[in-house]
Amino acid sequence: MTPGTTAGAQTFPVPSHVALVHNGETERRAGVREFLIPAADDPNAAIYLCGPPGEARRLFASLEEDTGRDLHPDLKRGRILLGQGDRDVDQQLRNLLDAIRLLFDRGFARVRVAGPAAWDVPGYAAPEDFLWYESRILPALEGVDAVILCTYDAAQLPAVAIQYGAVETHSHILISGVLSENAAFLPAERYLRERLVNLSWLNLPGAEG
Amino acid sequence: MGVHEIERSAPDLQRGGIAVIDRHGNVTWTDEVWASGDGQAYLPRVPIGTNLLHAYRRLPDPRAQAIANALSAVLEGTATYFEIEHRADRESQDSFLTAVAALRGNGAGAVLIHRPVGVGGASYRDRQSDLRTLGGPPVGGGIDRLTPREREVLGLMSAGLDNRAIALKLRIEYTTVRGHVRSVIEKLGARSRLEAVARAYRNGWVANR
Repeated sequence: MTPGTTAGAQTFPVPSHVALVHNGETERRAGVREFLIPAADDPNAAIYLCGPPGEARRLFASLEEDTGRDLHPDLKRGRILLGQGDRDVDQQLRNLLDAIRLLFDRGFARVRVAGPAAWDVPGYAAPEDFLWYESRILPALEGVDAVILCTYDAAQLPAVAIQYGAVETHSHILISGVLSENAAFLPAERYLRERLVNLSWLNLPGAEG
Repeated sequence: MGVHEIERSAPDLQRGGIAVIDRHGNVTWTDEVWASGDGQAYLPRVPIGTNLLHAYRRLPDPRAQAIANALSAVLEGTATYFEIEHRADRESQDSFLTAVAALRGNGAGAVLIHRPVGVGGASYRDRQSDLRTLGGPPVGGGIDRLTPREREVLGLMSAGLDNRAIALKLRIEYTTVRGHVRSVIEKLGARSRLEAVARAYRNGWVANR
């Protein structure tokens, strides 16, 4: 990884997949703001906001508020994209990667992505599939100037979501304004073999032990 | 005919082979020539049946002739053919598990074509898993309901590949892969992609390397 964009006091390496572990809405908003404002202010950067239905709109409205600008022209010219997750987790991964590719194809030098962890959201991917999705993001970013920020609300999510999702699938963790390289991060293949296929809640009838 | 009996009678399982199993459970290994080869040659991919037999008959390669002999046994009703494709992938041993696909008949007997791929062939555990899946006791969990192509897709899912990567690897359409993945999940009675993968690992349908 190489040094990347400075956001507030943080320099996000590129590419990187960052978990913002926060406690409640105020912390989430502050963390996302620090991450997105430098991109919003940089004409060579593009932004992709995503999540369950309505989430991207909410992030966009917050960003407008935080920057104090009308960002609809950026939306219109495709510098900011609003996306949505998908019930099919593979399609969700495609949506993310296709959006990033599209923004680079449009000539932007950097892409910053933000969205909340969609853990056990009704009508969405099962938690284990969501974890798979998270684990596949970083390998897909190789060689591009992209940073993905996933927000994990420790006040709302179960401990397994934080442990298996935020802690084990992200190359970096941002907590209380401090960005750290994540020593507990597991590369995707190892994560699949050692974590995902052994998740305790999976229903495995017919297993031979 | 159990797994261990087949294994004991194999001249050299590590190098691959073709076993004709008659309706009385007797095993004859027909491909000593092939078994002594490197098992790496690319063979034609054509529909099963007489066309496939003729395709092999036309090839001078003694390994192809051995396969043709085995196919004849199937077509004469003394065996059931077990393989659809003869894909040898030098880059990955994963396809080994699915390259040997099951088309189980009405108990008339079986031809088991066993072909390791990659340097050094498949591990003992891989082979044991294949044999158990193909000719051994019922393994449960619905693997027997999957088509050969679906097993191949399951193998690649279990290697962590997303649908686009699977499509590239198998040289088939992305939408086709999506259909296969959905079908695999449904047939295994899993609720998610990862649950299907976890079953594959848990039951030894894929190797946990």
